[in-house]
Amino acid sequence: MLAAIEARGVTKVFSGNKVALQGIDLRVEPGEFFGLFGPNGAGKTTLLKILTGQLQPTAGSASVLGIDVARSPLQVKAAIGIVPEVESPPSYLTSYEYLYFVGRVRGVSGLEKRIVSWLDFFELDGMRSTLCKDLSKGTRQKLMLGAAFLHEPKLLFLDEPFINLDPIFQRRVKDWLLEYRARGGTVFMGSHLLEIAEKLATRVAVIKEGRVIAAGSLAEVRGRYADLETAFLHLVGRP
Amino acid sequence: MHTSYTTKRMFLMFPAMVTAFAFAIALTSERIFADTPLPQVLLVLHFSVFLYGMSVGAFGFLGRQYQERSTGYRNYIVTTPATLPMSFKRTFLGMYLRDAIFYVLLLLGPLSLGLALSVPWTGFRLTSIALFFTATLLTFLAGMSLSFFVSTLYLRSVPAFAASMLALIGLFSAYGLFHAVPLEAILPGLGFQYAVPPLAAEALPALAYVAASVLLLLGFLAGAVLLVEDRYESKTSRGEDRLPALETRLPLFRRSRILLAKELLDLRRSGTPLKMLFSFVVPLVFLSFTAWFVRNGLAVPVGFNTVFYGGMVGFFGVSLYNWLNNVDNVDYLATLPLTVPQVIKVKLRAFLLMTTWISTLFVLAISWLNQDTRLLWLALPVMFVVSVYMVVATAYLTGLKTNSFFFNFGIMAKFSIMSMLPDICLTILSFTVDKDLVFSVAGIAVVLVSLGITTVLLYRGIDGKWGRTEFGE
Repeated sequence: MLAAIEARGVTKVFSGNKVALQGIDLRVEPGEFFGLFGPNGAGKTTLLKILTGQLQPTAGSASVLGIDVARSPLQVKAAIGIVPEVESPPSYLTSYEYLYFVGRVRGVSGLEKRIVSWLDFFELDGMRSTLCKDLSKGTRQKLMLGAAFLHEPKLLFLDEPFINLDPIFQRRVKDWLLEYRARGGTVFMGSHLLEIAEKLATRVAVIKEGRVIAAGSLAEVRGRYADLETAFLHLVGRP
Repeated sequence: MHTSYTTKRMFLMFPAMVTAFAFAIALTSERIFADTPLPQVLLVLHFSVFLYGMSVGAFGFLGRQYQERSTGYRNYIVTTPATLPMSFKRTFLGMYLRDAIFYVLLLLGPLSLGLALSVPWTGFRLTSIALFFTATLLTFLAGMSLSFFVSTLYLRSVPAFAASMLALIGLFSAYGLFHAVPLEAILPGLGFQYAVPPLAAEALPALAYVAASVLLLLGFLAGAVLLVEDRYESKTSRGEDRLPALETRLPLFRRSRILLAKELLDLRRSGTPLKMLFSFVVPLVFLSFTAWFVRNGLAVPVGFNTVFYGGMVGFFGVSLYNWLNNVDNVDYLATLPLTVPQVIKVKLRAFLLMTTWISTLFVLAISWLNQDTRLLWLALPVMFVVSVYMVVATAYLTGLKTNSFFFNFGIMAKFSIMSMLPDICLTILSFTVDKDLVFSVAGIAVVLVSLGITTVLLYRGIDGKWGRTEFGE
């Protein structure tokens, strides 16, 4: 079966010989909820950016939904939804306009209905005409999530999607992601929030200093430890 | 931040280039002084330095902008008082000092160093060069402080800002038009320059001018710092959802119309057109001053006609394109199926829509003021072709990071060649209009066709040059 995501020896070296990733191999099957964990600076965001066509790998290759990422980054971006690490919607568009903009760029049909539905989901009706520069961090994050979900892609890449969200919306987004997976969607999530990830992820990988140091099902990675957090701390050498 | 878009070596090449340029000018100074007396050369230099200081000192505007808008993966020092026990007043003062040091190291220092290096050939005295450095520094800081002051005044009261600008224009008019005020009274740095070697050795007036300069810049600086609001609270702005309606009004642009509509809306809501207008007016004032000075001050009968101004207005398009790239961060576009060349090309279209009328109005106004409307038929095509060429060349060279890439020596050198060659050709040809119209028009036509072809090639080259670049890189 065609993998949803496949990375083969992905390496990234930034200028100044800073090695961010060293030969990453990963395979995510369709319908999986894949969690990627690692300490700060481990290379999570770099890997996510390479897999979503935002960065070119120095070596190795990756495909997403069967599309070669390095060769066709635009096709990849058109097929997936991305929530970036930093919530920075355009300063001078209103919430509604931002979703409209994203929808028009992606050529989404029935756009008005979808925008209203996502504004409603995140309870943004009262802020639909507020310029993004004046929104709180949490509200901006909701907007970035809405923008990524708007075209209902088959695959979602989420970089710390729950940061800045209050518990009410963390729960709401978690529930939506579970429904999305049940409908056949695939999720690739980079996060530090291990408790949330433990409830959502079907398979996980831990990276440290640009290398995968553990990968498998939750039970496999958890191993003999009581929870994922304890296992993670042992894996990264900070028990 | 500028160094992050270039290599350290290329960044350091910029002051090296200024040094080399000053050195070369110094070597030819004998010829220059034969045609233009030293006091007049210094006058133009001080006026330029003052305007440059003004153009880089408007922190008041920028501070608010950076505090309010999304900044993506970047953080700005100006926002730190929000999270640290620091005052905005102190931060802004720090920004002023930082930028003053930056420009001294980048421009004024290398300029003086270039002159100093020429001493074995020119016989300039090192003391005179040191005094020149001091004088230009005073003038530069006066411009920077004034700009800092009026930009913070603008945030407190627009009418007070308008009144201060009118007063400034009045002062310069009193000097330029009515000779009622000596320029040394407006720019004490120039007064100091005139009172010290090599022009004179009048210790008391020199000290008085230094004191006046220091008082002036400290006064503006103190005023600016006092006007900075220490309790910064962002105003919540509500807009109407105008994007869909604006998009439908741009049917001609088909696939890029949503991007273009967003670009135009960004410009309108960020207040950028006012800044663009301002950055257009400053060089034009300088240009008009130079033309006036050459004609009246030096009594050189050079024909600065409407065609000349048409070309010059076209060259100023660069600063307008730079503003288009400073409206907002574009990091979020990396998550969408869009490419950097697509966005660059949309900005070029926005440039045409937003600025063609401004440039046209300027050329019309200048031709009317100079009573030279007879050449508008030639000046307007010159302005249009040069504008488009300049902005496409800038976009090709600098992509979406114009301001930062201009600190890269390699790019600056290419840009200088690409802009100066046609500039010199058009200037010379414009001077020959009244002597040999057919020759002049034929020559201008050849230049415009060449620029047109180059524009098309550069426009097509944007895909290749920027196609692999990501937003935010």
